[in-house]
Amino acid sequence: MKILDKKIALALLLALVVPVLAACGGGAAQAPVRETVVVTAEPIRETVVVRETVVAEGPTTAPSGAFTTPHPILGDVRVRQAIAYCTNRPELIQSVYSYLTPEQQEALLMDTNLPKTHWAAASETDGIVTYPFDPEKGKALLDEAGWKLAEGASVRTKDGVPLSLEFTTTNAQFRITWATVLEKQLLENCGIQIIRKHAPASWWFGGASGLRRRDFEIGAFAWVGEADPGGRTLYACDQIPLPDNNWNGQNYMGWCNETASKAITAANNTLNREERIKNYKAFQVEFTKDMVSLPLFQRLEAYAWNKALTGLKPDPTEYITANAYEWGRTDNGDTIILGFTQEPASMFTLVESAAVQRQAAQLVEGVLTTQYSYDFQPVLQDGLSTIESGKAKNEVVEVKEGDKVWDATGAAVELKPGVEIINSDGETVKYESGSVKMNQLTVTYDLISGIKWSDGEPLKKADLELAVKIVCDPESGNVSLTFCESHDNANGVTFNSDTSYTIKYLPGVQWPIYFTAPYGGYPSHVTLSDGRKLAEVPAKEWATLPEVAELPLGYGPYILKEWNKGQNMKFEANPNFVLGAPKVKNVIIQFYADTNAAVAALLTGEVDILEKATLGAGPEVETVLKAAAEGKIEAKTDASPTWEHMDFNLFIR
Amino acid sequence: MTAYLVRRLIQMVIVTILSAMLGYSLLYLAPGGPLLFLQQMQNTGQRRVTEEDIARLKARYELDLYLPIRFTRWLAGFPAGPIQIGGVNLISPDTVVGCAIPGQVRLRYPDGTVEIREEGCVRDVTLADLAQRRTSRGILFGDFGLSQQIARDRPISDLLMTRLPYTIQLMGVSTLLAILIGVPIGIYSAVRQYSRFDYAMTGITFVGSSLPTLFMGVMAILIFSVLAKDAGLPYLPSGGAQGIRNYDIPWIGTVQAGSALDRTLRFIMPCAVLTFFNIAAWSRFIRSSMLEVLRQDYVRTARAKGVRERAVITKHALRNALIPFVTLLAGVLPTLVAGAAITESVFNWPGMGRLLVDALGRSDYTVAMAILFISTVLVLIGYLISDILYTVVDPRIRLA
Repeated sequence: MKILDKKIALALLLALVVPVLAACGGGAAQAPVRETVVVTAEPIRETVVVRETVVAEGPTTAPSGAFTTPHPILGDVRVRQAIAYCTNRPELIQSVYSYLTPEQQEALLMDTNLPKTHWAAASETDGIVTYPFDPEKGKALLDEAGWKLAEGASVRTKDGVPLSLEFTTTNAQFRITWATVLEKQLLENCGIQIIRKHAPASWWFGGASGLRRRDFEIGAFAWVGEADPGGRTLYACDQIPLPDNNWNGQNYMGWCNETASKAITAANNTLNREERIKNYKAFQVEFTKDMVSLPLFQRLEAYAWNKALTGLKPDPTEYITANAYEWGRTDNGDTIILGFTQEPASMFTLVESAAVQRQAAQLVEGVLTTQYSYDFQPVLQDGLSTIESGKAKNEVVEVKEGDKVWDATGAAVELKPGVEIINSDGETVKYESGSVKMNQLTVTYDLISGIKWSDGEPLKKADLELAVKIVCDPESGNVSLTFCESHDNANGVTFNSDTSYTIKYLPGVQWPIYFTAPYGGYPSHVTLSDGRKLAEVPAKEWATLPEVAELPLGYGPYILKEWNKGQNMKFEANPNFVLGAPKVKNVIIQFYADTNAAVAALLTGEVDILEKATLGAGPEVETVLKAAAEGKIEAKTDASPTWEHMDFNLFIR
Repeated sequence: MTAYLVRRLIQMVIVTILSAMLGYSLLYLAPGGPLLFLQQMQNTGQRRVTEEDIARLKARYELDLYLPIRFTRWLAGFPAGPIQIGGVNLISPDTVVGCAIPGQVRLRYPDGTVEIREEGCVRDVTLADLAQRRTSRGILFGDFGLSQQIARDRPISDLLMTRLPYTIQLMGVSTLLAILIGVPIGIYSAVRQYSRFDYAMTGITFVGSSLPTLFMGVMAILIFSVLAKDAGLPYLPSGGAQGIRNYDIPWIGTVQAGSALDRTLRFIMPCAVLTFFNIAAWSRFIRSSMLEVLRQDYVRTARAKGVRERAVITKHALRNALIPFVTLLAGVLPTLVAGAAITESVFNWPGMGRLLVDALGRSDYTVAMAILFISTVLVLIGYLISDILYTVVDPRIRLA
């Protein structure tokens, strides 16, 4: 009897489990087509070859590739525009920067992909479409697109499908805050539902996940603006990441507007600033019209400093230390202390790009040019090497098969049939045979005379040569060698004197910021503790040398005398600084575990300066603004070049 | 005893390697790493990063090697190239040990969706390729390798040595104080159970063990640093191991930055927080242990024999009550070196605990693994010492 019970129980169990498993598994899935993608070392230059390895049995109606089916909701420009009109951006700004005045909040609003103060920004007079908060307009657009709000419903529908979209961004508290407000706005104002997905940054920005795989419907993140806007990889038609191109490019929306694409490509390949502005403005008109990406706001950045300091120039596109040699104190003190919440990983600029490193390096190395207010100014460079100054020329040259040129994708290649290049008329053409005319840029860069290393040794030609040699050596740890390749490494550089060199770029290279000197010097005369001369040390050892990574010699305004790991870096004025010895004798960078501790130190007078990377834009900014209002310290806020936006994915997989 | 020690040492080596393997594998799986920043910048213009650049960077940080090879190179510096004996290759130098550029397989589904997966390899890394790379001697031989993020390409041992003195100072003094204060409090509370002292200590220790050090640290800064200063009272500096600028303290005068007084003032708060926390935990432990022993028959017998109360407590009860406490102290050894991550961070103390937090936050897994490895070894040594101490405090125990 017991055995019979067990059998019945087993049969019942199977009867329950089998249908569940069948339901979960669905029917027998058709086998996918397996194709091997041949990946090459430099996929941009090579055509990706797809080879069939396994063929699916039975008929298939699959389209030719992924992301070719328009998104059923976001594929309609009216829906995208409606989302823009239904988004109350001032309220989003208020949610994260409530302590700012209304005027300060309004200054953070963006209409295009460039901040309003940028030299290439377009305005309404240029024809851009703006999207002020106007839910009535948004609702009308949705009605027109067929998305109706049924009686008593909160979410619009069309053919029974709800207007619901997945909204992906990082799990940073700042983004959770404004995204929560956005979710409420879209639902209450226009009946658009967004399902928030806050993913870890490692997934969202991962090499093979999130944005890179276009795994989103609406995606929010930030781009960091610069003095030169760039933008080709973000918006050109040939920059859409797809399986077919190995996911190359950063046009995650999948947006291809021929007019915009041509304009942004031309803007990135033109040296004349007026021409560039014209192209950038033409691009922005299309960008705002198509509404593929909604610029939300510029982030806030803040600075706070001791009232006794003079000469500080806080700026959104330049580090505070860029003019350290001009700093002073009204109280006759001989030391200025900066508070950082992160310690530089190395003083060797090639292997470390963090803002904290750049600031420490600026004190020691000095700056050839600065980038205040989204523009360029010479400091240790003897004037910008513009075409107008006579130091640069952009000549039309004839190239033929076998010549080394810069192709349309931005890589050094040997010219052969099939290679796409940009000709001297600015057109992208495929090389077939014979000769083609291309632009070739030759620029002479002069540094100001009298530059001396902090040990008193004058800057020499050998120092400049050493810098080019090390920077362009793949073993040095340099992350990108693109610039070196654009002038064929050391082959394209001629050293004219101890302070001058000329770079002949490959035909096709049209760097918009060609006029700023790319190389300074490395002290070839330095003798290491093991007796070797720095110039003799192989590039692969450089990052490990204390004389390079910890206490490097420079020709900047200060000398790094001491680096107490985890505590501070102590700098002393360089008496040999070419622009004159700094007024303040000592600068110290003190490290704090967090912003809170750094702000406490500023308020107690232990620290003199907290710059934008340390202060961030969290509640500590409110604290320093209050203290400034009470007259205890000085503080300043700026619209950061980093801007938040929402990208709309125009296609589905 | 000797056989026991040999057996324990062999066990320790196995446990160390197994735990290192586990820790290394977990960190290997963790997202982030030295190349994460590449995805967050415009890949354009003069700084464009190509696949070749990425392959080169991966090779630099050994990210292109298979996990077992990365692990053995980190652990013992092996293999450092082709494996040879007397110039003869034991295995082919072309043996694949990693993948520089992964292959990709595209899955095109009948419904039109396309998925791309990494599968196979386009460019392999072989044993022969390893000969061109820098290789550490391995953590087992005292070479922790190079830091990937915090002090990029600089030896981790240098980094650890800059932090170790501060941690030993903080943890050593606070632990010693906690023992010197906590043990007598525990004993006295047990002996005078339900007295006013016992109630007071119970209340205080409950507060101490309930509040996290993070909260205690922040409150201490607020009260003894910020509010005290605002009120014009003598105050303590809020953090750091030494000042960089002279400061005035009411009643004391000007304190020279970096002086012994400055260092002492900065040491007081983090040390006090850690001491208080340990006193709270340990005094409760000793109290309950003592109470249990005091109820034993042999204690009653001793009292019945007319042994003086002081002798009953110190000779008969305390020695037995300390036996479980010895086990507890075994856990102190690793913290003496690995530090107190939260307290060090709150008080900006440049110790090993803060370094571990920084290393994990900045994905410097080589530094994090070095600290975790040291902690593992010290935990094992701590337990061995506690086992040996058992025989000292309890003659009934024999190690065999």
